[in-house]
Amino acid sequence: MSQKKFTFKLLFFLVFTDFMETFTHLCFKKSALIENEVSITKFSEFFVFLQSVFSSPFLWLGLLSVLGTFIIWSTLLSKVDLSVAVPVCSFSYILIPLASIVFLHEKVSLFRWSGVLFILLGVIFVSLSASEKERALE
Amino acid sequence: MKRELVFILSLIALTSVCDTINQLFLKSAINSLVSPRGNIKAVLKFIIQLILIPRVWISFLFSVISLCIWLFVLSQVDLSFAFSADSMHYIFIAVASRFILKEKVCLKRWIGIVLIVVGIMVVSLS
Repeated sequence: MSQKKFTFKLLFFLVFTDFMETFTHLCFKKSALIENEVSITKFSEFFVFLQSVFSSPFLWLGLLSVLGTFIIWSTLLSKVDLSVAVPVCSFSYILIPLASIVFLHEKVSLFRWSGVLFILLGVIFVSLSASEKERALE
Repeated sequence: MKRELVFILSLIALTSVCDTINQLFLKSAINSLVSPRGNIKAVLKFIIQLILIPRVWISFLFSVISLCIWLFVLSQVDLSFAFSADSMHYIFIAVASRFILKEKVCLKRWIGIVLIVVGIMVVSLS
């Protein structure tokens, strides 16, 4: 494995992708909220649903943000090991519930936060083991 | 109510599977290129080279499928719940590595997976 330096600039971009991801999912949720009561019984109704969602400007804003995230993430992955990049980006598991409370007025109970904590720990454990894996792949 | 939850969870599982396939293709495409050095011009060239690889298009196709299912899931449940449950793609990657690619999955990773499973269960129950 070639030596990959972890600089402050890289950390900034990693955290920046967290915020981008949060923004993306907020936009997607906003676009999906338009059709309040969707009950899909037939497969064809799924396309009617998609049609209404894809006509929402929020969806296109979200997709633009996905494109930006994709460009930054692809570049970062060639410079940082996945085992470093993933734990930093799992920050969004906290950011998204926070954003849901502030912007979508969702209620997140203490019980749900404890679940988020478990997931966060799990993601960190999984990515810690990735460093061994990557070395084996080289 | 319970049946609805199972339905939504299986849809989230489906987007996670699509995302896993998407990531695998993308990573393999990126690995075939030389990492860009420094300036914006090199980065842009890198992105253009990346887009020209057919594997990136397969990856793109799967992300579109994943997006469509994801939008439907979001129309049904809270974002804070859906995003947490989406972390199950970590489980799929590990299980696929172990049983399809016959890779060795170390203890640390299994501990991580158990923690994620517990987390998803807690979030689903709340």
